[in-house]
Amino acid sequence: MIKLFYVTDIHGSNVCYRKFLNALPIYGVDIAVLNGDLLGKVLIPMVAKAGGGWECHLMGMYTEMNTEQELADVKKIIENAGYYWVHQTREEFEATKADPKAIDKLFKHQAYMRIQEWLELADERLEGKSHEMYICPGNDDWWEVDDMISCMKVIKPCDNMVVDIDGHEMVSCSRSNPTPWDTPREESEEELAVHLDELCKRVSNYESAIFNFHVPPHGYSLDLCPKLDKDMKMSAEEKIHAGSRGAKQVIEKYQPLLGLHGHIHESRGAQKAGRTLMINPGSEYSEGILKGVIIMLDKKKVKDYVFTQG
Amino acid sequence: MSEELAYARKASGLVRGLSMTDAFAVGFMNQGLTPSIWVVVSLGLGVFLGGNLIYACIISAVLAGIGFPLVWGILGGSMPRSGGEYVYNSRIIHPVYGIAQSFGDAAIWLMWLYVLAPLAVDPGLTMTFNYLGWTGAANWLTSASWHTFLIASVLNVVGFLFVVFGIKIFARVQKIVMFFGIGGCALIGVVLTITSRASFTNKWNAAAAANHGPSYHAFIAQVGAQAGQVMPTHTNWGATFGTMVAMSWLFAYAYSIAFIAGEVKRPDKSIIWANTFAIIVPFLFMLWIGIVLYRTVGFQFLNATAWNDNNGNTLASMANMPHGTNFIDLAVYSLASSAVWAKIIAAIMGFSYVAFTVWWLALSYLAFPRILFAWGMDRMGPKWFTDINPRFASPVKNHILCLVLGQALLVLYYTLLQNTMQNIVLTGMQITSVFIPTAIAALWFPYSRRAKGVWDSSPYKKWKFLGLPVIVWGAAVDLVYLGILLYEFIGHNAATATFTTASIELFAGVWIAGIIWYYAWSAYNKSKSGMDISAVTYGELPPE
Repeated sequence: MIKLFYVTDIHGSNVCYRKFLNALPIYGVDIAVLNGDLLGKVLIPMVAKAGGGWECHLMGMYTEMNTEQELADVKKIIENAGYYWVHQTREEFEATKADPKAIDKLFKHQAYMRIQEWLELADERLEGKSHEMYICPGNDDWWEVDDMISCMKVIKPCDNMVVDIDGHEMVSCSRSNPTPWDTPREESEEELAVHLDELCKRVSNYESAIFNFHVPPHGYSLDLCPKLDKDMKMSAEEKIHAGSRGAKQVIEKYQPLLGLHGHIHESRGAQKAGRTLMINPGSEYSEGILKGVIIMLDKKKVKDYVFTQG
Repeated sequence: MSEELAYARKASGLVRGLSMTDAFAVGFMNQGLTPSIWVVVSLGLGVFLGGNLIYACIISAVLAGIGFPLVWGILGGSMPRSGGEYVYNSRIIHPVYGIAQSFGDAAIWLMWLYVLAPLAVDPGLTMTFNYLGWTGAANWLTSASWHTFLIASVLNVVGFLFVVFGIKIFARVQKIVMFFGIGGCALIGVVLTITSRASFTNKWNAAAAANHGPSYHAFIAQVGAQAGQVMPTHTNWGATFGTMVAMSWLFAYAYSIAFIAGEVKRPDKSIIWANTFAIIVPFLFMLWIGIVLYRTVGFQFLNATAWNDNNGNTLASMANMPHGTNFIDLAVYSLASSAVWAKIIAAIMGFSYVAFTVWWLALSYLAFPRILFAWGMDRMGPKWFTDINPRFASPVKNHILCLVLGQALLVLYYTLLQNTMQNIVLTGMQITSVFIPTAIAALWFPYSRRAKGVWDSSPYKKWKFLGLPVIVWGAAVDLVYLGILLYEFIGHNAATATFTTASIELFAGVWIAGIIWYYAWSAYNKSKSGMDISAVTYGELPPE
């Protein structure tokens, strides 16, 4: 039996990533899979004030920092929430704000620095240890992240490939069906269905296979999220299924042993589709809570699973 | 500085959909308003004669208004998950403590079903039908025990149906219930406000003359004779504190927000404010109704009506009077008209009681399944506790279990165990199993090694007053408030009449059952997965 630890959608949160690495020895994990989304969504410029100190907007609130200690405290909050920060003068801020390409460039620079730090930290902490660790990005992650993962010593990439996990073939896909945000790895439902089917055909034994798709299958309890109105505001009252029909199609067709999914943070849960146990551990990265699931895997069956939070 | 100093990129991922207003609504609706004011006047004042509703209201609002939002808001904002106080207590003190008190809470939510469904029928529906002139229907409801049971069961199922089909239907119905509930209560206040003492006395006397009932002064004297004491004319401070026990129905129940905390946007601010507003609004209503009741019907007369209503309206001379003597009845006497408009206004006032009471049933169906869901996520129960129905986006199996257990309790209540179950005081169980254990957890939160990581990342860690964390002050104020309630509950002779050993046995039994449940599931999990589940579900991971 192996113990597989699966975490998803930490969205740049430093505290969640560090908890993830710390969890491997504490939970006694054999294999860890960190699924995307890995990158954060917000970059906070710490703008230098004329009379000294810095100012920024943090979670919608105007925040002033007058001492180095206050600055360090705010930076920590920013990093733990999955955001990035950058020092700018008022002139640099004005110039960047007016230039979407400059914002994009700055974002990528900060995001890649964070990812590089994470990967190096994992290599440092896991080298010589028995834990195996895979990373698969998500639909929010720029494609360059894949190259960074593939360069590492201990961490193994798994997106768009079939890897062997103690006799279980795990096929992974970072792409998603269309979202309202037009993210980097989206495909139409038709394209995604074809892509997933091609990928799954590479598996030789479905009975023990793991389908690690970032998107959950459509229509089950793992893809329920609040409906958005035309102004992108969330409805408190209505939930919709936002998963992929393509993912549903291949899971129902090939009936693997296990389906691992993320993407919809609020739909933490497990559900069966025929013989396939599908799990979405959910995410509360913005609160600094690491949500995950430990799966006890026998050769041909899921012996047990436990949701974790820490 | 109005300019937004932040850059955002296009990225997916939503987590929380409920606003502060939504959270407030869930908390406020569990305070009950109209039926809670009925409890305050009839049960509170009816037992603690001479208690001053205004003073009790102000003291309760200050203590509960400081203690509850700080305790439940800070705990909810620090651990924004939807499993209720079980999440806080199990993480801060110990999982056994969390499960044991949560067993108590789960039992309480279930037991409210057999307490509240009958109250929705009588006095709720009976008085509403009477106001409409449907005396035949009103009499039918109480003419046989099975009639009341039947309608209470229907209302129990209605409460279930409001919740089981998901949050969309729940939220829409809640808006309607809020509209009629608050509207009806406001009408009661308006009617009592625009009626002078002289006008009320005249109208009461006219109704008495027409129905062979007691006059205003005769009523006070006759109730005094039946109660064996002269109805008080002035405030009694001891009784005022006693009245606060009943008044906790208006101020202590917004904790239901804890069951949706995981879905609230900006939980660090929203939960604490939602708790605060869910106390302020009932406070304003209670203060208003209290002031106008004293002004319109008079201190002594109000005490007499409260005693009479609490003792089953058994005054022989009241037999032919058109209505009882609860505070809604007093507003209806103030209308003193048989015109259609008056009947409609009276019915809306009565329906306000029914609406809030039925909504309490719905809230039991919201809370109980979520408690089971939280246990299931921690593997403290079967895996199906965590099943979400993909069509309705709700834990349908847990809802059905709640319906079955609730209905079973209703059957027991109407058949074998009515006397025993009537004497189980749920408010006392709520204080000892939910409010005090959670206040203790809040007091301990900043110093808990078990929850150190949570406290260190809590947005309230730096909130201090006189050198101590604000949550400690909040918990201390909360414990003072709860201590008063508990003292009055157990210590006062009038209250102990209903606080039987059956209650104490039940409280202890439920906690013991919770402890057994915890160890049984821990052992089962260990045998199945070979690992100590509690370490991965309750433990904190080091953040560095």
